[in-house]
Amino acid sequence: MGYRVGVDVGGSFTDFAVFNEADASIATLKVFSRPDAPGAEIVAGLEALEARHGIAASGITYFTHGTTVGVNAVIQRNGDDIALFTTRCFEDVLQLGRLKIPRIHDLYSARPAPLVPRYRVFGIAERMDARGQVLLAPQRADVLAAIESARAAGCAGIVISFLHSYRNPENEKAVKALIGEVAPELPVFCSSETWPIIREYERTITATISGYVQPRVARYLDSFERVLRERGVACPLHITKSNGGVMSIDQARAECVQMILSGTASGVIGAGYIAAASGFPKVLSLDIGGTSADVAVIVDGQPQYGVGELIGDFQIYVPSVSVSSVGQGGGSVAWVDEMNVLRVGPDSAGSTPGPACYGRGGVRPTVTDAMAASNLLGHAPLGYDAVVVNRAAARTAIAPLAQALGVSVEEVAGNIVAVSVSGMYAEVSGLISRFGIDPREFHLFAFGGAGAMLACFLARELDIKGVVVPPTPGVVSALGGLIADLKNDFIRTLYINVDDAGVAGLAAPYAALRERALGWLRDGQGYTGEARLTVSADMRYQGQSYEIETQLEPAWLENGDTRAIVAAFHAEHERLFGHADAHGAVQLVNLRLVVAGHTPKPPLLPLPAATDAAVPLKTVAAWFDGVQLETPVYARMQLRAGHCFGAPAIVAQDDTTTVIPPGFSVNVDGFGNLLITPQRKEA
Amino acid sequence: MAVDERNLQVLANFCAAAADAMAFTLMRTAHSAFVKETEDFSCQIVTREGLAFTSPRHFGAPWYSGIDYRPLLDMFDSYAEGDICVTNDPYSGFVATHSPDLHIWKPVFHEGRIACFVVGHIHNTDVGGAVPASLSRSLTEIEQEGVRIPPVKLVAGGVLNDFVVEVLRANVRSPDQNGGDLHAQLACVNVGERKIREIIRRFGFDAFIEGVGMLLDYADRQARAVLRKVPDGDYFFADYADEDSVGGRPCRVALTLRIRGDEAELDYTGSDPQLASSLNMPTGGRERHPLVMVGLTYVLYTLNNDILLNAGTLRPARAILPEGTVVNAQRPAAVGMRSLTCAMTQIVTVGAFAQALPHLMPAASPGGNAILNVKTADRAGRPVMASIGPVGGGGGGTPFCDGSDGAGGATGFLRNTPVEISEAEVPVHFLRYGLHPDTGAPGRYRGGLSAVMEFRVSSPETVVTARNRNRSLMPSWGVQGAHAGVVSHFVRNPGTAGEAELGNTDVVHCDPGDVIRVIGPGAGGYGDPFRRAPEAVLADVRCGYVSPGSARADYGVAIAGEGVRAQVDEAATAALRAATGTAASGMFTFGRERVAFESVWTRERYDLLTEFLASVPVGWRFFLKHRIFDTVAQAGQDGAVREQMAAIFARLRAQYGLPAAASA
Repeated sequence: MGYRVGVDVGGSFTDFAVFNEADASIATLKVFSRPDAPGAEIVAGLEALEARHGIAASGITYFTHGTTVGVNAVIQRNGDDIALFTTRCFEDVLQLGRLKIPRIHDLYSARPAPLVPRYRVFGIAERMDARGQVLLAPQRADVLAAIESARAAGCAGIVISFLHSYRNPENEKAVKALIGEVAPELPVFCSSETWPIIREYERTITATISGYVQPRVARYLDSFERVLRERGVACPLHITKSNGGVMSIDQARAECVQMILSGTASGVIGAGYIAAASGFPKVLSLDIGGTSADVAVIVDGQPQYGVGELIGDFQIYVPSVSVSSVGQGGGSVAWVDEMNVLRVGPDSAGSTPGPACYGRGGVRPTVTDAMAASNLLGHAPLGYDAVVVNRAAARTAIAPLAQALGVSVEEVAGNIVAVSVSGMYAEVSGLISRFGIDPREFHLFAFGGAGAMLACFLARELDIKGVVVPPTPGVVSALGGLIADLKNDFIRTLYINVDDAGVAGLAAPYAALRERALGWLRDGQGYTGEARLTVSADMRYQGQSYEIETQLEPAWLENGDTRAIVAAFHAEHERLFGHADAHGAVQLVNLRLVVAGHTPKPPLLPLPAATDAAVPLKTVAAWFDGVQLETPVYARMQLRAGHCFGAPAIVAQDDTTTVIPPGFSVNVDGFGNLLITPQRKEA
Repeated sequence: MAVDERNLQVLANFCAAAADAMAFTLMRTAHSAFVKETEDFSCQIVTREGLAFTSPRHFGAPWYSGIDYRPLLDMFDSYAEGDICVTNDPYSGFVATHSPDLHIWKPVFHEGRIACFVVGHIHNTDVGGAVPASLSRSLTEIEQEGVRIPPVKLVAGGVLNDFVVEVLRANVRSPDQNGGDLHAQLACVNVGERKIREIIRRFGFDAFIEGVGMLLDYADRQARAVLRKVPDGDYFFADYADEDSVGGRPCRVALTLRIRGDEAELDYTGSDPQLASSLNMPTGGRERHPLVMVGLTYVLYTLNNDILLNAGTLRPARAILPEGTVVNAQRPAAVGMRSLTCAMTQIVTVGAFAQALPHLMPAASPGGNAILNVKTADRAGRPVMASIGPVGGGGGGTPFCDGSDGAGGATGFLRNTPVEISEAEVPVHFLRYGLHPDTGAPGRYRGGLSAVMEFRVSSPETVVTARNRNRSLMPSWGVQGAHAGVVSHFVRNPGTAGEAELGNTDVVHCDPGDVIRVIGPGAGGYGDPFRRAPEAVLADVRCGYVSPGSARADYGVAIAGEGVRAQVDEAATAALRAATGTAASGMFTFGRERVAFESVWTRERYDLLTEFLASVPVGWRFFLKHRIFDTVAQAGQDGAVREQMAAIFARLRAQYGLPAAASA
């Protein structure tokens, strides 16, 4: 028995979630992040855990950690100088990308500068064909010359990405071996090892990002591990992954690319876990911070997975929890444009200087200021005593806009919220269309610093079942990391026709993938429990240029059951697109396997039942959509299961404020979630 | 809820979300690669009068933001709830602009009244006709370009007209694909209808109608604010597409841009007569036809990235499109490759604005992005066909930075096809795909480099098409003392005894083992290359983008050492740059091919030609243009141009019995 700890380091705050195995309780903690001294926040948190909760480092039995070090290296372009070896005459793969420029109406627009400039790209005389036959093996002298040039250019690592290496990695492996022989100090990243998919740009950029961030992330992980060990944490350390799972710190050091989007993924995993355990099978997670709102689709606790998730200027193609992001958050700045039209964003005051009402030097009016000016915030301290909301400062910041538009501060404050929310609406609406889901079956699951503040305003615009605000919206990501399973993805590009001849060839690659997957879990992660394997394939009709991931049964592969595989694809196509072509020839591009090992999940603790009606702390005059309403303020701590009340209402707690405009009713469920339901509109 | 400046952005976001939902639905459900890979589709929401007020924010072809569907809407006297109409006929309303583009429109009703229409198009991979994919420069009549469906109610009151679908299916090469795409279009407009109804429920019918008007006004005001900063004046610019037919003559697109206050007139008088090839643009002479306004849209957006793009954006502008010319072709002119000519209209628009705003406009991207297709046979002899991607030039150099490499500026919206996908799909072997050295024209900010693709085919009777290729005759121009670009190349078996430069041919038959090389046309640069930072030249040399020879000759930068060890030789560079620079004088550098052509075909001579051709019936113009070019080529430049041309015209009138001064 001991403590299981999840830590999520964000831009402003570092969140701790601690699961006490003895009594199944969860403790939470927030400390300031220290971008200036990474690791310092961990020490501060461990000290606070001991001081406040009596949790000693030696009592920690399991530790997970998510960090943005990798993604920041790409965004801030401060990764290491590395070299790229490509097939000769195809050296411009990163420069060309997929060709399309970012702003297609802008004559100045250009693709972002590649992470590896062209003078550090070296072509190797080698060639593989599309069937995996070696047409030309790399020549020693040629490779040695390239290594010498890479060294001369001061490269700290080498990425190897050759044509068709997804099919046969032999040439990449040979070059890697040669580098290991003559330049063992240089880390090597093979595209066939990072993520062996067909499409040379996508495979190369994924391996390149891996090589680009690896040294920095590995150094960070080394110091992170040292700090924990020095503090007396002796248990195995785990790192959260972009795919919503966790991996051992040793794997993380070797495969940094797997953790690059772990922050957003952990939030979605945490949201999915709480929602499913609370009895909400379908939710849209809504994580709003200072600069952006992140939305994801979750069904039965399972997020959607995507490839091509954005990291700074680039997309990455390892499987990642699919999150849509829009640049609207609590810090988004409101302004009046030259046509005298009110706009919000894309500029953000972020966490520094922050909204004007936080009194940390911000003077431009933000969405949070609009809420504060409407007297919807500041009725309980925010952010662990870190901020005091200054309503007068908010009003002062908004006053020039009110003057320009000829209305009161409170009216324009309502408009600012509406404009910001309409931007979020556009993003969520797109997500709904992209996944083809029916929003009437979904709840919005709100978390992050500003999620609960704005979720009801967004829910008003969506035809959605309701809003769920969990008891501790501030630490959902840390909790997500804590409960995430050990998980890894495997892929093999086969590019076969799904006929009897093609399907007969599936059993062997499947068996090989299965063996690697089990080896990863047992040997790599030291996991002894039951392995969960999920098989799927990326398939398409011949002539289509996009594949659909279709779930398969292992038996179909082992027994060569062509009919079952084809039928599964037709059914999936029908489900997604509303039609299928029963006679169309089907291709199988990739075979995928996901292996997972279960991690204990803390049960959600029931909240004691209410014995009488909810009593507000006080009633304040607040403004909704520019209209003043007497609004009761409830203290979250005092709410009990079964409490219900109407709107408008404000629910204050120490890490966020839930704002409920008129038109909703609020119920506190058995786990302490606020379930906020819209009164049905006339059809 | 009334709409005013405080919540106009809310309505704009909601409408954009509706258009995005349409685009997502289309991309999710369409079959053809044109939709999914190259995003050659559009979806819009248009007013009851037909004016587009919202487009998807991040998806679709960039040409249609200001489209006016009125001619199509007016095709029917009345609409009922549940009606959905389609057409792909370029000569019915001039909204569809070549036959692969199937346009669709559906009224959105609210309590018995039409609130707006949801509309859009998909570029179908094939709609039948003389050649696979329905498009080739060599086609001469619209009838060769595939089945045409005149405006028809595909769905009337909710009931699908199967006959229309069967006619389409019966005339195309891959009926299932067209059928799948059509279903996707139906789903798209139905989603748009639902989304618009939600918006109307939120705002109310009257406020919605009024708010939509405000969105158009907003864009109009933004565009006028940009145009007010452009100095008043008349700005003439012309450029030439490759030969107007195989072995033909250059095809001129000319523009006089007239800026008056906050309005712009785009007068295309001086553009060549319509052609006996498929480069013609079917605009119907409509003064805000999207195809002739693409360049203006780019310019306005470049000058203000915050501008809202809708039909209001184009309100301060009007175009003059003389009948029977390439910018306003009459039936039965073939129009399949109108995109090549449309690119020329964009280029001349940028060229005209460059004179008004020399420190804000880039050199144009060269246009002529070759769309490469291979039709061959696999090992078992079965026919296979694949699009292996666009190969074109880069973006023009800008006043602030180099042009985008490989693709950029007005032609940067296409995606490429991965080499690995092409090799897996068709038996071709790629020898090279990348950026070609010394193709970005030297300038203080150089043009973007051209893409190069080289591959070997392995089956007999392989056909390679390079549709939309251009600038094999005259290069793209540079501005402010920069160099002009280089011409494009389409070569069979380069470096062998049988090497053949294929000129402006867009279809080539190959034997097993033949190698095809395509190099995109080079983009022009911006500013004096002798003023380019030596470190930038060094970086280009290190990257292999600029040869040391070009660094020395074109940039005045001496490079010592090779590869990653290359360095600027400061002393030698100073000496080179102290000597006379290579900077061209004048605003534009046209390149020697164009200078040679225009030494004969001066603006004066071309104006006379235009005037003469405008006076003869449309059907005679292309024929007479060629006779006149032949005659001038034989005669040379003897004496005064006006007299010489008058004599030629008089002779032709007499020879062919043309009236002395007919006029259309």
